Amino acid sequence: MKKVYLMVGLALVVTGCAGPNPYVYKAPVEDRSRTPQSSEPGTVVPVDPVPGVKVTPIGGAPVIRAQREEEDKPVQIQAPVEQVVSQPQSPAVIALLETARQDSSSGNLRTAQNRLERALRIAPRDPEVYIQLADVQRRQGQFLQAEQVALKGVSVAAGQKNPLRRLWSLIADIRQEAGNAAGAAEARQKAAAY
Amino acid sequence: MLRWLFKLGLVLTVILAVGLIYLDAQVRSKFEGKRWAVPAKVYARPLELYPGQNLSRDELRQELKGLNYRFVRSADQPGAVEWASSRARIHTRGFNFPDGEEPARNMLLTFSGSTLSDIRDAEGRRLPLVRLEPMLIGGIYPKSNEDRDLIKLEEAPPHLAQALVAVEDRRFYEHWGVSFKGIARAMWVNMRAGRFVQGGSTLTQQLIKNFYLTSDRTLSRKLLELPMAMLLELHYDKDEILEAYLNEVYLGQSGNRAIHGFGLASQYYFARPVQELELDQVALLAGMVKGPSWYDPRRHPERALERRNLVLKMLRDQGQISQAEYDDARQRTLGVVKQRSLHKGAFPAYLDLVKRKLREEYRDEDLSTEGLRVFTALDPLVQTRAEAALETSIQGLEKRYGQKAQGLEASMVVTDPQTGEVLALIGGRETRYQGFNRALDALRPIGSLVKPAVYLAALEKGYTLNTLLEDEPFSVKLPDGSLWQPQNFDHRSHGLVPLHRSLALSYNQSTARLGMEVGLERVIDMLERLGAERELKAYPSLLLGAQSLSPLELASIYQTIAANGFRMPLRVIRRVTDAEGEELSRYPFTLKQQVKPEVVHLLQYALQEAGREGTARSAYSVLPQNLNLAGKTGTSNDQRDSWFAGFTGDRLAVVWLGRDDNSQLPFTGSGGALRVWTEFMRREEPEPFIATRPAGVEYVWIDETTGLRSDERCEGSRLLPFLMGTAPEEKVDCGLDNPVRRSLDWFRNWFN
Repeated sequence: MKKVYLMVGLALVVTGCAGPNPYVYKAPVEDRSRTPQSSEPGTVVPVDPVPGVKVTPIGGAPVIRAQREEEDKPVQIQAPVEQVVSQPQSPAVIALLETARQDSSSGNLRTAQNRLERALRIAPRDPEVYIQLADVQRRQGQFLQAEQVALKGVSVAAGQKNPLRRLWSLIADIRQEAGNAAGAAEARQKAAAY
Repeated sequence: MLRWLFKLGLVLTVILAVGLIYLDAQVRSKFEGKRWAVPAKVYARPLELYPGQNLSRDELRQELKGLNYRFVRSADQPGAVEWASSRARIHTRGFNFPDGEEPARNMLLTFSGSTLSDIRDAEGRRLPLVRLEPMLIGGIYPKSNEDRDLIKLEEAPPHLAQALVAVEDRRFYEHWGVSFKGIARAMWVNMRAGRFVQGGSTLTQQLIKNFYLTSDRTLSRKLLELPMAMLLELHYDKDEILEAYLNEVYLGQSGNRAIHGFGLASQYYFARPVQELELDQVALLAGMVKGPSWYDPRRHPERALERRNLVLKMLRDQGQISQAEYDDARQRTLGVVKQRSLHKGAFPAYLDLVKRKLREEYRDEDLSTEGLRVFTALDPLVQTRAEAALETSIQGLEKRYGQKAQGLEASMVVTDPQTGEVLALIGGRETRYQGFNRALDALRPIGSLVKPAVYLAALEKGYTLNTLLEDEPFSVKLPDGSLWQPQNFDHRSHGLVPLHRSLALSYNQSTARLGMEVGLERVIDMLERLGAERELKAYPSLLLGAQSLSPLELASIYQTIAANGFRMPLRVIRRVTDAEGEELSRYPFTLKQQVKPEVVHLLQYALQEAGREGTARSAYSVLPQNLNLAGKTGTSNDQRDSWFAGFTGDRLAVVWLGRDDNSQLPFTGSGGALRVWTEFMRREEPEPFIATRPAGVEYVWIDETTGLRSDERCEGSRLLPFLMGTAPEEKVDCGLDNPVRRSLDWFRNWFN
């Protein structure tokens, strides 16, 4: 194994030295132009060779870069937010979730749904709201909507293990009830990963 | 002869009896059936109040003003507020919502900064969540233009019934519908005057007259009125008759709308519900029954005042009120609010959209007569800020461009990207004018606002943000033989550019090439999945936004992007109930995943880059750095349309500026519409956009010029999101793995 590393390293150094100037790099381009496909009537026929998307080839000369100075901070567009610090639920949301739970356990599913939609407007980033809303829709037999709401919950809960596990097992239940055994198994597997 | 007379008498009796039975049936059917055509009422969203809520005192104040709360020293009755520097005591009116009654509350609100920190009820208990009553934003009127706001007798303020009886029919509680004394007196007066001046009608007769008969003062009508009044009294008790009277009586005219009943009259003259009327106001309304236009307090205040005081005097003389109450009420001014066109005017564009949605499900007749209640998502606070932002920005543009910016028109749609609700809508510069609704009906070429769909289709097909695109001259032969040769805005080509940058800087040539490579069908399919519903024409120029869409359609498309690929039909109406509060239709929260959240995450990156470094970067000269706005500027061909569509955490707005005659503008999307958008967001102070990393996405440092893998510590690197496994393998070398370079580094530092 070590030998392989050594070989690759050596090869890189050699190719690096072979380049004209390691600090002035020009990306080699690959021409991927192709002949136009047979056109259906009414479709567009490009006159030029179809614009190719230039791809930097794999392999080739190593690219040398200087190191960043301390004060030279890179641009941050969208920091990879790993986990939204789940904010403590507001008393308003706690109250709505609690009464919705009571409504739904006494069978008032529509009332529960109303409350959960109210909660959603106040706390649209709280996975708990999606879990309960999807469950109420599941109990109303609205499996398609229930699954979609739970999937939206997954997208809201990104990075939060516990809600993700519960959401995926809820999705498994929904799919099971809707007769999608394969989908259910897949969801269960995802739940187990958290 | 006697037998003949007897027969005649018999026949007459039978005719009379048949007539009476007929009248009786008439009287009863009208009184028991639906008595009035009641227009549908359209409400804004109710303002929810909860501790920890981001709500400034000014916003709350504006909401309360909109609900016609009275700002007083001591809030001792519903509809009143005590306003202090960091607190407010609000005595709410309560409201019967379709999902439950919100009781009237006397509550104390405490603010810290622009946060509502605490809510307590009159006993000092903490309240987790309360709702104010929703603002009435409009009605849907029948052709007769009769409008009324039904009230129950027990809701009427004290003294209203007494005052009415006192001035209109003193013996109401004793007679059987007809007062012969009254008729005799009227006849005496009429004879003395030599003409018809006084009717001597009881309240019952007046009700009959308005309810069943025409308003001609003829003898035959009078003859019909008497038996009908007596029949009405036979079937119904005094309170039922009085309640009907309270709701039937005509009390004024607002433009072509007739104001009927004390419920609506109370709103019309005093801008408050009838329950909250004070003695002097009750006396004025009761006095006006005799002649609503003669005693119109707005046109003839002296006459009205004199009439009011006469009513007060009668109440005192009859012992209904004390001398002290009389003295207090008498010295008050009329207290009539300035005339506003009641129920309508403030939100015509939004109301227009509501009506269109309602007509998909309800007949016009039901809408204007059944007293339906329509609960919408309109947020009057957001609407006000949108209007103010538009006005300020357009004034700025006019100042800057002078003549060239004359005759600008505008439209705007604001939604909540988390729920898909439409919060505000502007259909034109004159926001009070109910005219051409540009947000819905102005179809304009969308320019670069189409690009996110092109890039999303590409990303879904396997391109990465890092793929290098060629921004070079390019032409396509169209079926008609002509050439399509897109130009960049700066008339230059930029060579190889990474995909994310091409979108952020809105390059046309690279986008057109990309779109052709991805395929028009895929781009169209993507637009349709995102929310476009109209037929899209598969011309190459579609890739640069030749397709025309309305601002509302664009909002629907961007909504899906903001919601991580979940499409939510834009919601305007939350619920419709009948007059009793029974639910007729609901428009629940629905969504459908159209694009994988992982792929949308990549696009969201590029749209944020447009804000940080691209065509929308001017927004950050005004907005806070942590907002992470994501959006796209758009300018149509020849600069006829200026667009911006973008979102933050909880607000999405699409802005269009242009002219109705389609002439050229002196600014682009970023010079015009983006300014409006920025000004709106500045006022709105929305939540920042937070893109959480989906499980299938990894972030990798990339060397910007080559697109190779790099490192945070290497110059020219940038952190880019990739779908798992699609990031490049090959790395640039900045000496991190090489101890020699590292030692060189400190060597270099030593010399610097």
